[in-house]
Amino acid sequence: MNAIAHALPTTATHGALTLRGLSKAYALKGKPMQVLKDIELNIQPGEFVSIVGASGCGKSTLLRLIVGLDQDYHGQILLDQQPVRGPGLERGIVFQDHRLFPWMTLQQNIALALKNHTMPATHKDRLVAEHIELVGLSGYEHAYPHQLSGGMAQRAAIARALVNKPKVLLLDEPLGALDALTRVRLQQELQRIWVQERCTVIMVTHDIEEALYLGDRVIVMDAHPGRIREDLHIDLPHPRERDSAVLHAYKQRLLGELVGH
Amino acid sequence: MKLHNIRGLVLPLLLLGAWEYASRQDAAGAYAFVPLAQVGSAWVELLGSGELLINLWASLVRTCTGLAVGIVGGIGLGALMALSAPANRLIAPLFHALRQVPILGWIPLIALWLGNGESAKLLIVSLAALYPMVLNTFESLRQVEGQHREAARVLMLSRTQQLRLILLPAALPGIAAGVLQALAFAWVTSVGSELFLSSGAGLGSLMMTAEAGARMEIIVVCVLCIGLCGYLMSWLCTLLSRRLLRWRPTR
Amino acid sequence: MRLLSPLSWLISPAALFALWAVLANAGLFPANLLVPPLEVWHSFTDLLATGELQEHLSGSLSRLALGFVGGALGGLAFGTALALSNTVEAYCAPLFHTLRQVPSIALIPMFVLLFGVDETFKIVIVAKTAFFPVALATCEGVRAIPRSHFEVAAVYRLHWTTLVGRIALPAAVPAIVTGVRVALTRAWVVLVACELLAADSGLGQMIEMGRQMLRIDVVMVGVVITGVIGFTLDFALRRVERRLSGWQSR
Repeated sequence: MNAIAHALPTTATHGALTLRGLSKAYALKGKPMQVLKDIELNIQPGEFVSIVGASGCGKSTLLRLIVGLDQDYHGQILLDQQPVRGPGLERGIVFQDHRLFPWMTLQQNIALALKNHTMPATHKDRLVAEHIELVGLSGYEHAYPHQLSGGMAQRAAIARALVNKPKVLLLDEPLGALDALTRVRLQQELQRIWVQERCTVIMVTHDIEEALYLGDRVIVMDAHPGRIREDLHIDLPHPRERDSAVLHAYKQRLLGELVGH
Repeated sequence: MKLHNIRGLVLPLLLLGAWEYASRQDAAGAYAFVPLAQVGSAWVELLGSGELLINLWASLVRTCTGLAVGIVGGIGLGALMALSAPANRLIAPLFHALRQVPILGWIPLIALWLGNGESAKLLIVSLAALYPMVLNTFESLRQVEGQHREAARVLMLSRTQQLRLILLPAALPGIAAGVLQALAFAWVTSVGSELFLSSGAGLGSLMMTAEAGARMEIIVVCVLCIGLCGYLMSWLCTLLSRRLLRWRPTR
Repeated sequence: MRLLSPLSWLISPAALFALWAVLANAGLFPANLLVPPLEVWHSFTDLLATGELQEHLSGSLSRLALGFVGGALGGLAFGTALALSNTVEAYCAPLFHTLRQVPSIALIPMFVLLFGVDETFKIVIVAKTAFFPVALATCEGVRAIPRSHFEVAAVYRLHWTTLVGRIALPAAVPAIVTGVRVALTRAWVVLVACELLAADSGLGQMIEMGRQMLRIDVVMVGVVITGVIGFTLDFALRRVERRLSGWQSR
């Protein structure tokens, strides 16, 4: 567990995300409201990118555009040099509310992600079991979502998003609905899972500590209109110490910037 | 607790006592309020001759058949209207216009077209079950939370898969509520239609015959049966839906 | 297509109407099965002209009014008592819930034997049909008033008339109005059903006479009017409902 993720040559050649001139506006009572303006971003395969910003800076909208739930925008979104059109299994997403389907068991929920894959059933079963184990939910295969705690449900959602080995994993404030203790625990889980899977991760959060703890890069966004203010590279190896001085310094600086205005 | 239960029985017992008292007053009283003993013997008589069971069975069969037709048709129609905007535009106005006429109001028309027989009654019962099914299916499907739809889209499920795996299960609680309503309607309408189209077997026909012959005790037996059966069927239906919907959060 | 959108909801009723007219005029069906819309309209105007329709309507509606008011008021009183008094609940609730299960329609033969085929039995049945939904809705509406309302009233030492008039009733009214609406529409249906079976006047009786004389046009006029009245009653009460529950968060 002392693997220094950065030092390892990343074998991931997939999962390079490029955003060029990305803009989106809503029409609110006739007047255009600019949600995102000219977002330029280059994300390397296997990077963990945290996005922080105050409410209204468009960070959730950004994720929805990348995952393809919203196709009304200007600019380009390229995944491995291919333009992104609509949802696709190579981009997985975990929402803030777990969005597990209440009428399916844990196992069925995760297996649903593999529904349209053409692989033999035994292979699918094995994948599902592996991912249930990955997120630490072995033994709960036949539980219904309402029987799971918030943290467990969210872990199941992560398993579902990872089961078809996406190139990019998008996390939209995944731990926002959980209590503080569970959040801390899940942050560590998330780090462990990512080190193992090594896909590109983009996580939106309003928690600065979380962003700094998990991210290789922390992107700070401004609101009205949403644009990138800063792009910090955190050169600390994973797994990280929560109370490292470096992280603390970054946190103070970001807090000052975001809250001070 | 014991005291509470007993108190609930006081009023019914008083009423029964008053009934029995009225029946002993005079001939007119006995005509209207038949002595309870007579009700009891009528019950035994009807059971013994098989008359009660035959008629009960006829009513039940018609209710279940009509219910089945209404459920299948109702879910189909409701789903069609919920999923296809053009279909909704076409069907909804007609549906809502026709819905205003109470089912029992259609009986004279249907009787003119189909006569007094079983097909007329079955049609009426099916219609009675159809209305709540269409409404509940439509509403439930419409209200499937956007969250579920989005999650399904992100998982790249096809349209049919979305319908089968996501939309229908999500709408199931609403549809189950519709079935419960449809059951109540079907049962009442089945008996009601027998009152009007009195050829053929059924509890309603039995009652009409008894009314003609001024046999109040038979009517009382039938009314008790109707109430009891209706209650039992609803209870069974609720149990079944609770079993099917055990994934629902208990809060 | 944009222009046609608002009108598109007319398509199917219009199509059905046209189909009806075509089929009836083509003479494919015997006259007692299908009459052209025009004839139905003529029958309608005839009935209006002779005053027959108004007579039947007023008969039905007056019965409805009488029975309904009686039943609803009783339901209001009983429902309130049921909600507020544990004694009433202990003694009356089981019987209430049992009797509630018995459909009104099924009681028609019994009531005919008990009260004869005059006005009485119809009014009694209408009252019964109105009583139970109103009582239930009132009971639930009053029960649903949060305790906190009463506690606030106590803190501000409000007089009981203020409590009932400005707090309890407005809080329970939306539920009560819904109950009244359901009761009214049901009562209307049951009344017409009664008149179909046994009456010497009223809309239901008019329909039944039409049926026996194989005058389908009269039957249709009757059925349509039944529907229109039912719709109007329901619609009017929904408006009242909406107005009175404006303060509720949906």
